[in-house]
Amino acid sequence: MDNDLVVVKKNSTVIPKASRRTELWKRIKKNKFMYLMILPGILYFLIYKYLPMYGLIIAFQDYKPYLGISGSEWVGFDHFKRLFSEPDFWFIFRNTLLLFVLQLVIFFPIPIFLALMLNEVRNQAFKKTVQTIVYIPHFMSWVIIVSICYVILTLDGGVVNGILESLGFQKINFLLSDEWFRPMYILQVIWREAGWGTIIFLAAIAAVDPQLYEAARMDGANRLQQMIHITLPAIKSVIVVLLILKIGDILELGFEHVFLLLNASNRNVAEIFDTYVYTTGLQQGQFSYSTAVGFFKGIVGLILVMFANWLAKKSGEEGVY
Amino acid sequence: MVEDKSIGSRLFNWTNITLLTIISLLTILPFFHVVASSFTTSAELAAKRFVLIPTEWSIAAYQYIFSTDTVFRALGVSIGVTFFGTLWSMLLSVLTAYGLSRKDLVGRRFIMFFIIFTMLFNGGMIPTFLVVKETGLLDSYLSLIMPVSINAFNMIILKSFFQGLPDGLEESAKIDGCNDFGILFRIVLPCSMPVIATISLFYAVTYWNTYMHAILYLNDATKWPIQVLLRQIVVLAGGMNYDGANYTDVPPPEQTVKMAVIVVATIPVLLVYPFLQKHFAKGALLGSMKE
Amino acid sequence: MISTKKFLSSVCALSLGLSALAGCSNESASNSTEDGEKSNKPFELSIMATLHTPEIPDERLELLLEEKTNTELDIQWVPDANYIEKVNTAFATGTLPMAVSISAQELGTQFKQAIRDDQFWEIGPYLDEYKNLNKLKPKVIENTKVDGKVYGIYQGRPLSRQGFIFRKDWADKLEISTPTNTDEFYEMARAFTEDDPDGNGKEDTIGLSDRSDLLYGAFKTVSSWFGTPNEWGLKDGKLLPEFMFDEYMDTLDFFRDLHKNGYINKDFPVTSKKDQQSMFKNGTSGIYVGSIGDVQGLYDDATKLNPDLEYDVQNKVEGPHGEFGIWSIPGFGSIMMFPKSAIKSEEELKKTLAFYDKLMTPEMANLLLWGIEGEHYEVKDGAALPDASIREKLDREVRPYLSLEVGEPDTNGRYEGFAAYEIKAKAEELIKDNENYLINNPVVTLDSETYTKNGERLKTIITDATYQYILGQIDKKGFETAVEKWKEQGGDKVIEEYNASYKKLKNN
Repeated sequence: MDNDLVVVKKNSTVIPKASRRTELWKRIKKNKFMYLMILPGILYFLIYKYLPMYGLIIAFQDYKPYLGISGSEWVGFDHFKRLFSEPDFWFIFRNTLLLFVLQLVIFFPIPIFLALMLNEVRNQAFKKTVQTIVYIPHFMSWVIIVSICYVILTLDGGVVNGILESLGFQKINFLLSDEWFRPMYILQVIWREAGWGTIIFLAAIAAVDPQLYEAARMDGANRLQQMIHITLPAIKSVIVVLLILKIGDILELGFEHVFLLLNASNRNVAEIFDTYVYTTGLQQGQFSYSTAVGFFKGIVGLILVMFANWLAKKSGEEGVY
Repeated sequence: MVEDKSIGSRLFNWTNITLLTIISLLTILPFFHVVASSFTTSAELAAKRFVLIPTEWSIAAYQYIFSTDTVFRALGVSIGVTFFGTLWSMLLSVLTAYGLSRKDLVGRRFIMFFIIFTMLFNGGMIPTFLVVKETGLLDSYLSLIMPVSINAFNMIILKSFFQGLPDGLEESAKIDGCNDFGILFRIVLPCSMPVIATISLFYAVTYWNTYMHAILYLNDATKWPIQVLLRQIVVLAGGMNYDGANYTDVPPPEQTVKMAVIVVATIPVLLVYPFLQKHFAKGALLGSMKE
Repeated sequence: MISTKKFLSSVCALSLGLSALAGCSNESASNSTEDGEKSNKPFELSIMATLHTPEIPDERLELLLEEKTNTELDIQWVPDANYIEKVNTAFATGTLPMAVSISAQELGTQFKQAIRDDQFWEIGPYLDEYKNLNKLKPKVIENTKVDGKVYGIYQGRPLSRQGFIFRKDWADKLEISTPTNTDEFYEMARAFTEDDPDGNGKEDTIGLSDRSDLLYGAFKTVSSWFGTPNEWGLKDGKLLPEFMFDEYMDTLDFFRDLHKNGYINKDFPVTSKKDQQSMFKNGTSGIYVGSIGDVQGLYDDATKLNPDLEYDVQNKVEGPHGEFGIWSIPGFGSIMMFPKSAIKSEEELKKTLAFYDKLMTPEMANLLLWGIEGEHYEVKDGAALPDASIREKLDREVRPYLSLEVGEPDTNGRYEGFAAYEIKAKAEELIKDNENYLINNPVVTLDSETYTKNGERLKTIITDATYQYILGQIDKKGFETAVEKWKEQGGDKVIEEYNASYKKLKNN
């Protein structure tokens, strides 16, 4: 145990400024157990996350696996230049951004609503059943979901078009058109992830002090008012944290899902960075180029997270760091 | 609790329950299709394409997958990795999250940033493989656990929940002579069961879905978890590998077998949830402790 | 918290290790045997192989294989879908085994450079020394060459299995004879759609069901009928991509008509093989263009739904120019290559080759493909008939091993599969017949740096335009715009490079 403490102290003494040294020292010493607690976690991140990061170097190389990093040729910013000068760069950027906005504006609030609705259910058995059911789709792979959607929506004997036709409407070309891609994408995301997303909000709601509701009821607040004035504020900080982390994920829209939906007729709206990297890079072992694109995505994500965090702090929230 | 019996409240209840019932039905139907498909014949599946109630029942698909011990063994591996992995990850995450939830911790912002950074940048498959190799984990089940010990997202959620606990809790415990470890395990954790259950579930599901790591780090096929088999069957049943140059004389697995494996690989993880569910109603605990 | 020390020391070890790894770590996969004790000690051989089955392989066949070849095998099975990731990782970390199977497609792209950088053994000069390996077909070997040298032992595949399967019972009912030219084919698709072939009085059939695959689906095969070259063709002595030929345009118009009139499934560009086959099996569609060997599997399922159903197969369809031709693959699916990082000496290489030489005997080839005679299969009329009642056992004990096969039945002398269904037997005949009408891809062994680097992306431009034209979403002008885009974004360079490479090869 002593050894560990020495390590902790050594690491931490680097930070304080000379003038406040003793004051800081006291604070550090007071939290010595806390540092001990986070040490294994920090080591984990150092070893399994930061050590491999030297691999990002290959974004600036013409990397050949068998030559290794030391043997591969340096090319500076060539891969980034290639990315930005791709004729399709801007439309891919736009598509990625639009899908992200859909995720944020349409998908993100749904699990919150669903959690609030579930919370209002008084019959415990019903509540538990619904909870279990809505969480099932999360375990179905995109391949299955997309193939089921195909069977339902196809022009060649699909159920939906069958119904439309029998009602006297025109058949709708869901699968081979660019205007239906985005609705389909977001509906599938909602279908698969909304129930799963409620879990965390339910946990947050469960932590709300029941006395607050009692007090509100005494004041004559109805159910909706209780929801708005007690439940929502109580889970606000969780919502903010999730929102910031979600924003960091801006360019992660689910490669497999989009790739499965992508076809010749919707490429102009469905091609995103991940699918693009797949066709240009991975298929032909272009490690450097795909790393460069990943690097670019990381930087965009980082800027947005920092911005979102700053915004959260400005409006009095805790933020994520 | 006193139940509100007003008309508005009842209307609210009924709308709510109706909506939730519709949502549930919409969500369950495709899964129903998968289960039903696994209990029929591939001929019927080809004829109808979307099956909800089989006209011709068959358990041939299950007989096929359970005819050898492959699926059992893979399920065993997955259960083991999920169980121990979740324990390990929870231990590390709770410790880290609690440590970082202390607002007066010097260097806290820096450490948080240091962790968030890993969510945005990663070194890629090959350098990670090298680290796994150098830490001696190749061909060991630990290679499925150690490299993903902490999920930054989960850890941050835990941290923000711990932060939300009233400060008074810790103060009173300190007066009782508890050190930080004591406070964490005796006071904070029991008060945080909903989030502990949630994050455990998140970890369990991640471990259950382990797939790529198993292929990269485990050369011995007998160590593969269920997801590798599942993927293999889903991909093979797609039939694309039987074209042209990749063509082999092996007929692709039947569609019903694919569905059966999906069912077998999904049921265990579905069973976890009801067990954790009871912890979501424990909010009351917090109130009582405050008194 | 004792682990901290351990953690720290492993961090140190790691950073040391990583600096060593900056290059390629050298791990000898096996030690070369000392001269003194080479007598009967089994040769240790590690192999990376693709797994095509839903089961994890049983070791039984492996043990037999080891015993019969006096080898100690270490086979790393990798699921098909992730094979290339695994190979790349192993490549980059110096952990490749002694023999690696590389698919034909990857050989042409990312591995070319590695081969040029001397990462694999050139085996051409040694092949003469082995009496079985020497039998491999020179024509196919030619297709595996990189810069005129041989680097691997190929696993053979039939050159062209393309043709079409159709509902014989429907054709008989409507009195349509087997189509022999594209017009008759079109007429069949029309009749199967409009003339109520199933006689239920409803308009619920379509002529042809196709899928989201321009190559192994219907499109490329039909384009061969029209006389389109295979990927690339010569026009006035210059190599040009297929889509710059009039025949490609003719094929496009043909499909556009089929689609407009509803003689092909409307959503074919997003239809999976599974769904395509479902339509053909359940009586929605009457024609299936693709690999005619599929007829067996289709028939097995379809007759369960409709016992009266009859299929027939056909390969020869003449285009408007009055000739029949059919595109071919290069004759191999993958090749076994031997990394220098794992095989250190010529002696080891020779032992490895000797192992593969043994695999090319009928005894071993049959073992790999069919298993143990009398247990897994029986011989009927000089062909192998697997015991269908033990499918799971076959999937587990036998089928994984077929990815180790080298050569093809012609050269390794193994049995062909026995076809109990006469149409399947006919299909096999037609596949052989196809070999007389092959249209080869002239750029298989040619070289274009731009293609290697950007080919997949460029191909997407044309693939998209092809679908869009067929669907009626763009017109001829739109298609030409796409071709222009292809040229601008690197296509012109590809043309230039292939032609330069072609001239170089011709002059040699």
